[in-house]
Amino acid sequence: MEGRIIVVTSGKGGVGKTTATASIGAALALSDRRVAVIDMDIGLRNLDVVLGLESRVVFNIVDVVKGRCKLRQAAIRDKKIENFFLIPASQSDNKDVLTPEDMMKVGQELRKEFDFVLMDCPAGIERGFENAIAAADEALVVCTPDVSSVRDADRVIGLLLSRSIMPKLLVNRVIPKMVGRGDMLSHQDVVEVLSIDLVGLVEMDDQVVVSTNTGTHLVLQSNSKAGEAFQRIAMRLNGQPDLPIEDPMARKGLWKSISKKLGLRK
Amino acid sequence: MTEETIIERKSTRKQQTSCVSLKRVGESLWVSFDPSQPRRLLEDELARLFGRMKHLVFQSRVILDPETAQSDENLIDSLGAFLKETFGVGFVSGPPQKRSVEEELRRRQAVAFSWRHQRSDVLMLTGRVRSGQKVSAKNHFVLMGDLNPGGEVVAGGDVLVMGSMLGTVAAGQPDKEDAIILALDFRPTQIKIGGYVARGIANSPGTVGEFAFVENNSITVANYLKVNPFGRLPWPEVR
Repeated sequence: MEGRIIVVTSGKGGVGKTTATASIGAALALSDRRVAVIDMDIGLRNLDVVLGLESRVVFNIVDVVKGRCKLRQAAIRDKKIENFFLIPASQSDNKDVLTPEDMMKVGQELRKEFDFVLMDCPAGIERGFENAIAAADEALVVCTPDVSSVRDADRVIGLLLSRSIMPKLLVNRVIPKMVGRGDMLSHQDVVEVLSIDLVGLVEMDDQVVVSTNTGTHLVLQSNSKAGEAFQRIAMRLNGQPDLPIEDPMARKGLWKSISKKLGLRK
Repeated sequence: MTEETIIERKSTRKQQTSCVSLKRVGESLWVSFDPSQPRRLLEDELARLFGRMKHLVFQSRVILDPETAQSDENLIDSLGAFLKETFGVGFVSGPPQKRSVEEELRRRQAVAFSWRHQRSDVLMLTGRVRSGQKVSAKNHFVLMGDLNPGGEVVAGGDVLVMGSMLGTVAAGQPDKEDAIILALDFRPTQIKIGGYVARGIANSPGTVGEFAFVENNSITVANYLKVNPFGRLPWPEVR
């Protein structure tokens, strides 16, 4: 059976594409799937740092495309997870060295080699984006509950749909307190505007910063809300699409429940 | 007969034919005459024209049109009586009152059911216009769906969005200032009607259809059902 290539994209930068790619990839690999994550941000790679593999990079995706090495030579095995591989980006080239046709050829090879291939798409909608989505079968659009992020995600969704790729939505960095106060868009607002299937909600979590800086896996940390959310997203992608989406807003403490019953709180 | 006499007779006939003329308009006979001519001459000329038609004028409807702004009722009555007595015409009247241009236009449109043969150049789409997408319509534009923030619509006529309008809308481009912009959920980023531009409004009731139109050199937004801008038109019109 051929593997699936999923592109993780957003339009806007800094919304958590790389973290999402690393965490969902790790979670899929933990469920005994052979997974590769590919950094498509040629010239500005950082997925290797997030995964703590920067010291092991020898070859990169540009080398694979140009035939300077084999796919297996460029794929770096993760330190802790057996079936998890990274194909890093080139730091010295620019995005124009690759073409969408190149990526489609490599895509066929990747599908044979792996069950899941997650492509970390660069921000923007230029060449890097075109290259990343060329070989993709599916797309995951990462969006934070900000007006600017929603607008960029909307633009990207339009481009993906025009290439017959049906994207799924991941709402990242939800802060339930701010949503409750009305200072932040709720995930319902975001879904209403973007009108695509929601694959998961990820709460704002300080552990993300810690794991990114130390190169450890978020999904292996026991007390990370974001890690748990990424694990559930991986489960939805891996044959359990009906797994209920946990709404961070619905999580309430004992005192809140009591005061609600007493009529002190709505 | 000399050549001079022939010319004289021709000119006399020309004078006679010019004071009364007859044509068929629908089921009626429309008689135009020159009221400045003597009554006797008019009667002779009528007799000549109606005499030729013989039984065809019996019980027919005749309209006497003096072709001047001030119609002479007495003259029409006396000529009518003459025609009734001599040729047995059924009904004689003066010309119908002229309608105002606007009224006549509306009447004609209503009578002709103008929309039946109207070739529509309305662009009607379903779905969602997303950020970065731009839809241009030559004339009116109807969207059954939503216009997202960052999406853009430009139309030569009206813009109707049967859903949420959150993007940028330009109606009546380039200079049709009677165009309207209507949405069920009216929260656009910016709107433009003809040459007028307005900022979007952050808050909208969201549950009532609102529309924007140009009034007193500025764009006004109002509840569509309350204002009902086209409800008072007497007939359906092509827009």
